[in-house]
Amino acid sequence: MKKVLTVALCVLLAASLFVSCGKKGSDKAASAKGSDKAASANENIRVALLTDATGIDDKSFNAAAWRGILAFYNDNGAGKGTLYTNITTQSADDYLPNLKNAAAQGYDLIITTGFTWAEASAAFAKDYPNQKIIIVDVGFLPQYDNFIQYEYEEQQGSYLVGVAAAMQAKNDGIENPSFGFIGGVPGATITKFEMGYIQGILSVFPNASIRDYYANNWGAPELAKTQAKNWYDSGVYCIFSAAGGTGGGTIDQAKEYRKAGKNVWAIGVDSDQYEDGIYAEGKSAVLTSMLKVVENSTIDALTKVKNGTWKGGVVAQNMTNGGVGYATTNAELCDAAKAAVEQAKADILSGKVVVLKTAKEVLEKYPHIGRLNAIDD
Amino acid sequence: MSEKIKKENKTSFIDWFLGSEAATSVAVVILGIIAGTIIVMCVGKNPGGLFKAIWQSFVGQYNRGLGKWSLAPLGNTLTYAIPYVLCGLSMGFANRVGMFNIGAEGQYMVGMLAAHAFAVCIPSFPGQWFFCIIVAMLAGAVWGGIVGVLKAKFKISEVVATIMLNYIALYLYRLIALYVLPEGLINKTYQTAPLANGALLQGIGIRIREGALQLGDFQLNIGFIFMLLSVLAFWYIMEKTKLGFSLRATGFNKEAARCSGINDTNAISTAMAISGAFAGIAGACVLLGSLRFGRIMQSQDNYGFMGIAVALVGNSKALGTLLAGILFGALKSAYSLMQFMSIPREVVNIIEGLIVIFIALRAGLEIVKAYRAKQLLKKEAR
Repeated sequence: MKKVLTVALCVLLAASLFVSCGKKGSDKAASAKGSDKAASANENIRVALLTDATGIDDKSFNAAAWRGILAFYNDNGAGKGTLYTNITTQSADDYLPNLKNAAAQGYDLIITTGFTWAEASAAFAKDYPNQKIIIVDVGFLPQYDNFIQYEYEEQQGSYLVGVAAAMQAKNDGIENPSFGFIGGVPGATITKFEMGYIQGILSVFPNASIRDYYANNWGAPELAKTQAKNWYDSGVYCIFSAAGGTGGGTIDQAKEYRKAGKNVWAIGVDSDQYEDGIYAEGKSAVLTSMLKVVENSTIDALTKVKNGTWKGGVVAQNMTNGGVGYATTNAELCDAAKAAVEQAKADILSGKVVVLKTAKEVLEKYPHIGRLNAIDD
Repeated sequence: MSEKIKKENKTSFIDWFLGSEAATSVAVVILGIIAGTIIVMCVGKNPGGLFKAIWQSFVGQYNRGLGKWSLAPLGNTLTYAIPYVLCGLSMGFANRVGMFNIGAEGQYMVGMLAAHAFAVCIPSFPGQWFFCIIVAMLAGAVWGGIVGVLKAKFKISEVVATIMLNYIALYLYRLIALYVLPEGLINKTYQTAPLANGALLQGIGIRIREGALQLGDFQLNIGFIFMLLSVLAFWYIMEKTKLGFSLRATGFNKEAARCSGINDTNAISTAMAISGAFAGIAGACVLLGSLRFGRIMQSQDNYGFMGIAVALVGNSKALGTLLAGILFGALKSAYSLMQFMSIPREVVNIIEGLIVIFIALRAGLEIVKAYRAKQLLKKEAR
């Protein structure tokens, strides 16, 4: 009898937990809905952000796409789960099933990020002509009316950080400085970063020595760290890494060396990576970051859905519409560098400077830089 | 009187529970899901979403875009189950012979690579997919066989050898896909030339777009049939053939098997080769059935490693592995569904992890069993 009572009590307790939790959840949802109505007129647009396994905590690309969504709704995260949500994958064969699941939920817009989604997104867009979908950072897929591709002209932003790095070296009075570039997996997209950076440096030091290295991996910071150490030891002044998680290794090494008093820099990519490079109060090893304003793409797409101005195709994100830029968070970035970068920006906008994006074109224009590991595809 | 009957019933239940390995597996799964529920409640979410997602991965969900019921989630569950079951069979087969095959991941990748090469380099012809699967099976068998021979002839630990071969397989895949196979048209570091049309696994879904049921989304490929055939083959080889008997005997006690005239060296090599063949088929099915493009592998897919869990839950038996694989497929299918209900996605990983940990209960139950036997002896002696 005693045992039965104990079991019954346990069940009751568990059930009550269930009930109370369930209630809390629905209350929250209800209040969230209420505040939405008060806060914004975007309540009837529902959007799903589909990312790969890293999700929106990657401090970089996906995080920026998510910030764009938050900025569009501007409701302090109250609509998360009801109006907008983030779905991550577990493996490469999840992409299409996840897209279909999202379509089943009846979202007004589906956002996918990065070229790993290319195949699946294009196949999905073709099969589901009534479902609006965008892909950020891809511009080479077949075009459909329900499908917008946002392509970034990273070479322009990379040009700016190249100018910044070179001007900083000039300001420090370094003679014949050399520069490094670390990429993830080689390919046309990363080549754009490298070529912009090289052209930026060459515009200041026409005979600068520039080396590049590809880790063939987006998630191996140890490879970047080893390479960065070698380069810094051999006198490289600044390294720009466009390599996803791998680039963290460069920043780590720059942090260690700056802490030890060596004058070397790292340059961040995509988001402002100033915080990642902090090694002492108010001091960061990240001189500047090449900004790829992914937020712009998500905001643009959501606005198009809202205003009914949707039109399928490829949209370029460049300096003209603020899609790329550079960060000025680091106080040690000298005024001369800032002035030069602003000048370069104006020159690009006016068309006086055209930043080339393929290794072939750049090597034709500057044959003296020697062999590079970059690939055009 | 009634008290006594109750007691007898209870004792028999415990005996049955202790005696049945299937019951332990079911208990372990239930325990894992209960733990998952508690975690969901701890982070302040409604655990109903978790159950709903798992439920939907079996029966489908309402498609709000179309206003119809869609069976797509069930299709996903069964599609995911293909590699899970096959890798589980791979792990289970070796396990029955007393080997711990951590190399299903590598055998899976080598199988995928072989199917990939066959599908990209050879022009499309009808029925090409069948040859792709055979080639993948052979490649997996070779990759597993290497470990078997190393173990049997040179006493090299299969655990170390398989782990190393996993990495070799990954980088071999990248090397060959990037530099040997024909280049893709776009995005060349991510994909090779497209797979031949004849190599893609056909769907076996029912395509109805009219009516209340939306079945057009239900997609399942022939790989599923190959998976079922593999389950049958596993059962037949293990339980019904002379080879299977010698394998099992080796697994129970290698020395005893040798003394009774079984060639244990042969048994180990054969077992590892067959084990690799299962994983090889899994690789071909994922590439030709789910991915359907010439993918250059970036990182491991983890199906091989999850196969370990599947085999443990399935107790290395054919039917058990099939059921466990479908369960893991459902959990993977629920992984994305539950995110739409604001349930943290990590819950699925936690449940999967806990199931593996709770499997260790088996060892605990053995202790209970031994204790009970001892008590019984004491009682009888008294």
